[in-house]
Amino acid sequence: MLFFQSLISGILIGGVYALAAMGMSLVFGVMNISNFAHGELMMLGMYMAYYLFTLLNIDPFLSLLIIMPLTFVFGYVIEKTMIDRVMDHPSENQILLTVGFGLIMSNSALLAFTSDPKILTTSYSSSSIALPGGISVSIPMLLSFLVTCILTAALYLFLAKSRTGMALRATSQNREAAQLMGINVSRMSAIAFGTGTLLAASAGAMIAQTYYIDPFAGHIFLLKSFTICVLGGLGSVIGAGIGGIIIGLAEAMSSAYLSSDWKDVLVFILFLAILLLRPQGLFGKKGEQ
Amino acid sequence: MKKKLLEIISLSKHFGGNTAISNVSFNVEEGLIVGLIGPNGSGKTTLFNCITGYYSLTSGSVMFDGHDITRIKPDKACRIGMVRTWQRVKPLGNLNVLENVMIGAFSKTRSAGESRKIALAQLDLLGMSELSSNTAGDLPIGLKKKLELARALATSPKLLLLDEICGGLNNTETLELMETIRIIRNNGVSIVFIEHDMKAVTGLCDRIVVLKSEQKLVEGTPSDITGNHDVIAAYLGKGYKHA
Amino acid sequence: MKQSVVVIALFAAVMAALPGFLGDNPYIADILITILMMASLASAWNIVGGYAGQFSFGHAAYFGAGAYTTSILLTTLNPGIPVSIAAGVLVSCVIALLTGTIVFRLRGHYFALASIAVAEIVRLTVLNLDITGGAQGILVTKVSFGSLDLNSKVPFYYAMLFLLLVTLGISALIYRSRTGYYLLAIREDQDAAASLGINLYLFKNIALVISAAIASVAGSIYAVYISFIDTSTVLPLRLSIEIILTTIIGGIGTLWGPVLGAVLLVSLAEALRSNMIGEYLVNTGMVSEGSATGAFLKSNLAHAHVLVYGIITVLCILGLPKGILGFFRRKGEA
Repeated sequence: MLFFQSLISGILIGGVYALAAMGMSLVFGVMNISNFAHGELMMLGMYMAYYLFTLLNIDPFLSLLIIMPLTFVFGYVIEKTMIDRVMDHPSENQILLTVGFGLIMSNSALLAFTSDPKILTTSYSSSSIALPGGISVSIPMLLSFLVTCILTAALYLFLAKSRTGMALRATSQNREAAQLMGINVSRMSAIAFGTGTLLAASAGAMIAQTYYIDPFAGHIFLLKSFTICVLGGLGSVIGAGIGGIIIGLAEAMSSAYLSSDWKDVLVFILFLAILLLRPQGLFGKKGEQ
Repeated sequence: MKKKLLEIISLSKHFGGNTAISNVSFNVEEGLIVGLIGPNGSGKTTLFNCITGYYSLTSGSVMFDGHDITRIKPDKACRIGMVRTWQRVKPLGNLNVLENVMIGAFSKTRSAGESRKIALAQLDLLGMSELSSNTAGDLPIGLKKKLELARALATSPKLLLLDEICGGLNNTETLELMETIRIIRNNGVSIVFIEHDMKAVTGLCDRIVVLKSEQKLVEGTPSDITGNHDVIAAYLGKGYKHA
Repeated sequence: MKQSVVVIALFAAVMAALPGFLGDNPYIADILITILMMASLASAWNIVGGYAGQFSFGHAAYFGAGAYTTSILLTTLNPGIPVSIAAGVLVSCVIALLTGTIVFRLRGHYFALASIAVAEIVRLTVLNLDITGGAQGILVTKVSFGSLDLNSKVPFYYAMLFLLLVTLGISALIYRSRTGYYLLAIREDQDAAASLGINLYLFKNIALVISAAIASVAGSIYAVYISFIDTSTVLPLRLSIEIILTTIIGGIGTLWGPVLGAVLLVSLAEALRSNMIGEYLVNTGMVSEGSATGAFLKSNLAHAHVLVYGIITVLCILGLPKGILGFFRRKGEA
């Protein structure tokens, strides 16, 4: 039964990891930038959900409708005002810019909200559904997973069917060629970054009931998102989706059968193993560059 | 019969399902200048990348100076005496011209003083001494190409692989560079030469290999090639007759 | 080269004489030791990040590995300080080689990502093991070294100064040697570097190992100096990032940039932490003490130094991507 319990919780948490990692992968694919502020963008979503709930009494899942457009605009503006200026710089400068931006975000949050962790508790935060065999499924996690599925489907349709989505994919395939074909790649970058921000913040909002909310809560997710992106192949959005589930499962299984102390270590060792054995990731298109 | 320096034996390279080079073979004998021509996308640069170890071959083999170098790494290729330049120039942009050339010279010496001497001599030979302290990234394209040549020569190669070294040069510069290349050959360096400009190639090369659609179309002396109807039809077109 | 030697010698003389002028002020001594330590760490990072262009985001791992190895040995077998430091270097070099072996075959962002992963593995492992004291950390007491008084700050000042001078010496030597030119070539263009006979894998590893060894020694000295270490003081991601920022802000790829960066950032952090800037603003009347802004600054500036680092980083990258020193000597000396 431990196995099935871990299987279910692994898949549920993996879905949220997947959502965050898809945002990072989209940014990487379109802009070829590793966004080190991704964790802070998740943290932003967590605080937004927290305050929308405590101040305005809006349910965290409902608040996504407010959080998503706001964070998209936020990401779009950040791209236009800062990241766009370093698009032709060496990748180290781009990484550092996002590191600096992340430091500004987390430490502003520290000044604004202090380091005391906040806990978002709704009427159903600790409820769960009991399945036969003593397996319990947490309601917030189940809802997160369902919303993640909807968002993933929406993202997939957007990328596959819409004009903008196709332009994004073309930019991701080959930036120069896309430009020659008349695609406004600079605008695509801003849209990709806005969408990435939206996805990260949504993931943050959805786990706000499950994790402590503090200014540095995003760090661990930054590293996990990187692991997932490399596992799925940097730049592959679908790969990131599947990678997220795999990492969620690996964590749940190692907590159950090894010890929960070592589950993060296991994730990072997995990360190095992928780099060693299959650097292009399981579904990668951009391998050795 | 001269000694074969480079032997390319049935070399093929596929990228996924796409064929970039199919079953190409030719030799480069010591002391020769061999021209490699062909339309865009015929696999010339890919061939260089395969020979020098940037790509691994799908099949076939490469021999250099009697040794099998099919699976060689790029840095090793340079150390055994085979050096290349780049179609899209790759200057070490933030370093100056002298430093760029010194880095080439370090493949033959560990001493910084010694490598500076070699580099200065090389720059002098190419008439670039005055540019020594200019930043490489700021040079115009023609001088960047020349810098790549100087840097490559500083490694004292046996075989020089030049990838469109005349691209972006005007006529006078091209003629000058051709003369320099002739001098380099006379100093005992063999050369393979990718070029778009037919005139440059025919004037200089001892032998020409024509690639078309990933395959070797024909190989021969410049006069063979310019008289070959297939080549004229496939590559040179009518323009060349009038040129 | 000669010029560098002269400047380093001058710097050494001034710094060696400095404690004599400042007298016995433990507060100032502590700041100076921190500056020397950050300068050593940033200079060490500069060898692999500035010269070879391989950005390590996990240098805290080497600092922490040195600190922990030395502390564990001193509190258990106690083979003496030099042996304990050497053991730390060995451990750090092994970690560096493992990292390099795995990721230096790859290009692009992989090294940056993998270096964080390795640092996190080291941090979490230390946190989960018994021998390292887990979350409790290690108390490093009853350490002696000859007749030196290790309760005084002076020996540590000179130890860190010595480390910095050695690091600067190594950097200057590398910079003007074949290895240095090769590292610069790798930074500029890896394909071109390989075509000129440079074994990318080998030279990147050389740079990382040298850099890790220096960072490790800094960690060892720090552990003995501070007498207590835990993962949040010697292994945090924050430290790795501060090391990079110090180098970037001072001038990446230059000999003195990291030193300048350490002087600026450590002083700035200290001024903020001790509320000097907040008080200055109030005392000079620029902000009134009673106002909301005044109260906010007074209570919060002390925690804001990392925020200020972030702002400086963003401004540096957008405004002067080569750092302060790089800005003054843009051309020719690279």
